[in-house]
Amino acid sequence: MDGESPVEPTVVHTRGISAAAGMELELLGAPEPAARTQWSLFSRRFLRHRMAVVSVFLLGLLLVACFGARWLAPYEQNQQDLLIGPVGPTAGHWFGTDELGRDQLTEIMFAGQISLRIGLAVAFIATLVGTLLGSLAGFFGRLPEQLLMRLTDLFLVVPAIAILAIAIKRFGNDSTTIVLVLAGLGWMYIARVVRGQVLSVKEKEFVDAARVSGDSSARIIVRHILPNVVGPILVNATLGIAAAIVTESTLSFLGFGVQPPTTSWGRMLSDARGTVGTDKAHLIYFPGLALLLTVLAVNFIGDGLRDAFDPQSKR
Amino acid sequence: MPAEADEPIDLEVLAPGPGPAAAPGFILSVRHLRVTFPTDDGLVRAVDDVSFDVAGNEVLGIVGESGSGKTVTAMALLGLLPKSAEVSGEILLGGQDILGLSEKSLQPLRGRRIAMVFQDALAALNPVHTVGAQIAEAITVHHDLPKDEVRDRVASLLDLVGIPNPRQRAGQYPHEYSGGMRQRAMIAMAIANDPEILIADEPTTALDVTIQAQVLDVLARIQERTASSILLITHDLGVVAGMADRVMVMYAGRQAEVGTVDDIFYGARHPYTLGLLASLARIDQGSKAERLYRIDGQPPSLIRVPDGCAFHPRCFRAVRPDPCATDRPDLVGAGADPAHLSACHFADELADVTAEQLREAMPR
Repeated sequence: MDGESPVEPTVVHTRGISAAAGMELELLGAPEPAARTQWSLFSRRFLRHRMAVVSVFLLGLLLVACFGARWLAPYEQNQQDLLIGPVGPTAGHWFGTDELGRDQLTEIMFAGQISLRIGLAVAFIATLVGTLLGSLAGFFGRLPEQLLMRLTDLFLVVPAIAILAIAIKRFGNDSTTIVLVLAGLGWMYIARVVRGQVLSVKEKEFVDAARVSGDSSARIIVRHILPNVVGPILVNATLGIAAAIVTESTLSFLGFGVQPPTTSWGRMLSDARGTVGTDKAHLIYFPGLALLLTVLAVNFIGDGLRDAFDPQSKR
Repeated sequence: MPAEADEPIDLEVLAPGPGPAAAPGFILSVRHLRVTFPTDDGLVRAVDDVSFDVAGNEVLGIVGESGSGKTVTAMALLGLLPKSAEVSGEILLGGQDILGLSEKSLQPLRGRRIAMVFQDALAALNPVHTVGAQIAEAITVHHDLPKDEVRDRVASLLDLVGIPNPRQRAGQYPHEYSGGMRQRAMIAMAIANDPEILIADEPTTALDVTIQAQVLDVLARIQERTASSILLITHDLGVVAGMADRVMVMYAGRQAEVGTVDDIFYGARHPYTLGLLASLARIDQGSKAERLYRIDGQPPSLIRVPDGCAFHPRCFRAVRPDPCATDRPDLVGAGADPAHLSACHFADELADVTAEQLREAMPR
C-alpha cells in the first residue's frame, strides 16, 4: 500500500468504493482514450456479461462437436452393437447406448447438426425477411405499412402446428421444408421490432440530413437507418435461433419433424419418450440436456448482446 | 443576448458580394409560399404568403421568434415537410419550379445545388458512421469518384472548415468531436458539392458564444470562397447584423419587413422590427441598470392568427379596429430604397421612430 507516487493510494482507494468509481478508474488507466469506438464500447459491455461469455464458449464447443462429429465422434454414425444392448453411461460409452447398441454421444453429435442447422437457417431467413418487411413498413408508412403490418398480423394468428402438418404432408418432411415453414412462421416478430425501431430512427435529424444530401430512400434505409437498429435485430435473431430449435424439437416429438434415418435432438427425445422412469432414462436425459444447454446458451448470448447494444446501460 | 459578442468578429468578414441590385438573375425565388398543416384543432398556417429572392453570392438572413415560420420555410425549400403539410406557391431554383417535385427528381438537386446545415449537428450526424464516411457519402451520392480522390476531397473539406489533422479526424465518430467541430463537419458535408445555395437553420444556436463566432467565421469564409448564396435562419439579430446582406423579418408565418441590413437596423419601418431591436441588450449604450424593452404579449397561435395585421394586438402604433384589426397590410415599399418593404399601415410614419426612443419611452 506504500505507493511511491502520490497517485497510487488514490487509485487503491477508488477501487474499493463502488462499480461506478471503478469505471472512472478504468478511464484513468486507459492508455488511449481516442480508441473508444462503437465496437470497443460494445465489446467491453459484452465481455462484462459473464454468462454470455461462458455461453459463447459453450455454444462454440457444441458447434464444433456437432459439425465436426465426422472426425470427433467416438464411433461411426448409426454403428450398432447389438450385443451390448441399452446400457447407461460407461467408460466406453459416456452417454450410454440405446437398444441397438448405438453410442448416444455419437448420436447426439450427429443429431445436433440437424437441430443447429435448422435453428440457424430459420433464424437467418426469418431475420432477413422480417428486417426487409419491417423496415419497408416503418420507413414508407401509409399504405405499404398498412399492407405489410396486416400481413404480419395475419401470419401471427395462423396456428403454426397445423400449417406445419399440412406443409409437411404436402412437400415431404426434409429439413428444407421444415426450415422454410418455420422461417415463414417466425419472421413476424422481427418485422414488428424492426418496424418500431425504424419508426423512431427515421425521425432523427441525420435522416433528414442524408435526404438533404440527395440520398435515395434505399440508401437511407441501408446506410443510415439499419446500422442504428442492428442491436435489436441481432438480439431477436439469437432468440429466434433458440425458438426454432425448440419448435423443431416439438415437431419431431409430435412426429412431424425430420424422419429416420435423419435424426435431430427432438427426434431422439421422441424415440426415447417411453423410457421415462425406466433404467433406460439416460436416452432422454442426454439429448434433453444438449437441447437445454444450447437454448440456454443462445438466450444468454442474446441477453448479453441486448445489454451490450443498449447505450443506456452503464454497467 | 450573446449576440453582441459576435459583432466585432463578424463585421470584418462581412461579405463583399454584390448587392441585390447588382445581380441580374436570382438563384432562388420564392413566390406566394403557403404551408398549412391540418390538425384536429384547425388549420395551422405555418407560412402565409411569403415571397422573396436570393441573389447569387448573397446572404439573406431570416429572423423571427420561435414559431414564426422560419424553419418551415426552409423545410419547404428542400421538400422535407411531412406529408401532411399542404404547400402552395412557387419555389424557383434557377428558373425551375421545384415545389411539388417527386422525391426522385429532388435527389439530384439536394446536396448538389441546394444544401442545408442543421441546428443540432450531433443529431444531424449519424452516430454509427465516421465523420469522414458521412462527408464522403455526400460526395459519392452525386459524383462517381475513385476512393483516394474522395478521401482527398474529404480531407480538404475538413481543412477548409478549420478542423486540424483532417485526415486523422475524418476517421473519428461524431461523439469524438466537440460541439463546434461537429457543426463545422456539418458545414463541410453541406458544401461538399459546392451548392449554389446553402440553407443554414440556426447554425449557431446550440453553441456557446466563442464557438458561435468561429462557426460564423467559417460560414463567411466559405461564402467568400465558393460564392454560394446563404439563407441564414436565426433568431439572433447580432448574427444577422454580422453576416447578412439583406434581412427578412417574419412574424406569425408572414413577412413583416424585408430590406438591407442597414435598412432594417437603422431605418426599420415595422413596429415588430423596432420592438426586436429595442429589446436587444446594448452594452454600448446606457450604462445605467435600465430594464430591457419588451414586446408585450405572446406570438399568436398559428391556428387563430388575429384578423388584419397579425401583430396588431401587441403593437404600440396600432390603430384599432380600423385599419390594423381589419385589413391585412400588404408588403409594400417603404423608405428610400425600393427594395425595402414593410407590411405595416403606418410604415411611412415610422420613419421618425427609432429603437432608442422606444426603449426610453418604456415605463420604468
